[in-house]
Amino acid sequence: MRTRFAAFAAAAGFVLATATAIAHHSFAAEFDANQPINLKGTVTKIEWQNPHTYFYIDVTEPNGTVVNWGLEMGSPNGLMRAGWTRNTLKVGDVVSVEGSRAKDKAQIGNARVVTLAATGRRLFAASSQTDSTQQQQR
Amino acid sequence: MRNGQRIAFIGVMLAVLSTAFWGVGAQQASAPAAGQREGGGGRMSAGPPEPAPRLADGTMNLGRAPGEKGVWSVPYITNMGERVIEADGTTVYERRMATARGARGGRGGGRGDLPLGGGEGTAGGARGGAKSEPQVPFQPWAAAIYDYNSKNNSKYDPEGYCLPPGGPRLMATPYPMEIIQLPEQKRILMIFEGATHIWREIYMDGRPHPEGDALNPTYLGHSVGHWEGDTLVVDVVGFNEQTWMDYYGHPHTDMLHVVERFSRPTKNQLRYEAVYDDPGAYTKPFTVRWNIPWNASGELTEYICQENNKYLQSLTDDFGQPIFGKKQ
Repeated sequence: MRTRFAAFAAAAGFVLATATAIAHHSFAAEFDANQPINLKGTVTKIEWQNPHTYFYIDVTEPNGTVVNWGLEMGSPNGLMRAGWTRNTLKVGDVVSVEGSRAKDKAQIGNARVVTLAATGRRLFAASSQTDSTQQQQR
Repeated sequence: MRNGQRIAFIGVMLAVLSTAFWGVGAQQASAPAAGQREGGGGRMSAGPPEPAPRLADGTMNLGRAPGEKGVWSVPYITNMGERVIEADGTTVYERRMATARGARGGRGGGRGDLPLGGGEGTAGGARGGAKSEPQVPFQPWAAAIYDYNSKNNSKYDPEGYCLPPGGPRLMATPYPMEIIQLPEQKRILMIFEGATHIWREIYMDGRPHPEGDALNPTYLGHSVGHWEGDTLVVDVVGFNEQTWMDYYGHPHTDMLHVVERFSRPTKNQLRYEAVYDDPGAYTKPFTVRWNIPWNASGELTEYICQENNKYLQSLTDDFGQPIFGKKQ
């Protein structure tokens, strides 16, 4: 397995226009923008549901331990507008995820960008803010 | 105040004891979000802007032209305080946009209208205790509630519970919406994809608001409308106290009276203005305004917030105890 887990320090300008907007609940109450995560792992489960789609990945840490992370994205309507379908992610797919970790330091994160290892396809885990802006620019 | 947010209220009482009521000059370090560009929408075009469509009888059409698609791309406005029209006739948001344009050599209508990116409630960061703003005429208790909501990063925002926004926040929750005019039925419907997939009905038949107990407090209140030229004017009363005015947590009471004005100077722009008059929470009325761009290819889709709201599973009160489920 080449999957790995790396957490890195917050970088200035990390957010900008690709930031995932959480219109539904307070991002800051649940996630910490100062705890960015960069995970690579294998998809174990997908919940294509409102108000947030979640997917789960097994991440192998440097010491060989496998940890299951839960990752929050936008709602299906927002993801559809950003180019996703319910079958974009499948169990067994290897993905890279950029996002922010939960404040309580659980194995939970908010995904901002998801890259599919097989194709290199990079998808924004959009919510309605970013996707309606993209629509506007289309 | 008979707001159901009892847990929040306990904290407010604590906050009242320790908080200066008027946090003058304590503006937030990070800019709150403008969800998307304002001021026109659509891509830049060389020609003059398209005129707004009209109904067959000449009435301003705030919706689609026959045979076309289109939705209003409601922006994400997290802080109504930034949209309050101040004594000089401008808002904090408008001044910031003007400054941004000036910094780029005065070219207007460009990126100064684009979203600032991030913003509160987004990956842009935490609210971190930003204090009540001087341009909002808070009563002391309302300022204390606001500061409390700021301190805890708006964790008790009713929208996080999948409850609807009330009043002008409907026009500040970033999902598409449509306005459907039914002049033969003397009513107008506004349909919101997000904001808990909700609609509101505006009576255009000249009826008054119900009075006394006949006016049942509701999330969206009781809306009656009329046209003043090409501007739709909607008068709303009968709000319950279960909503916040915005994500930042400006409170209101059931004494809230809102007057909204909708106009469409061009096909691609809805101008929105609302007067908040709530003698229960503010010392005088104040007016907010923003623009809402048209998305000519958009259509509404389904969004059922209540389906799998995991946020509630992890939500804890001020004492670290779960709000829903077994206490530890």
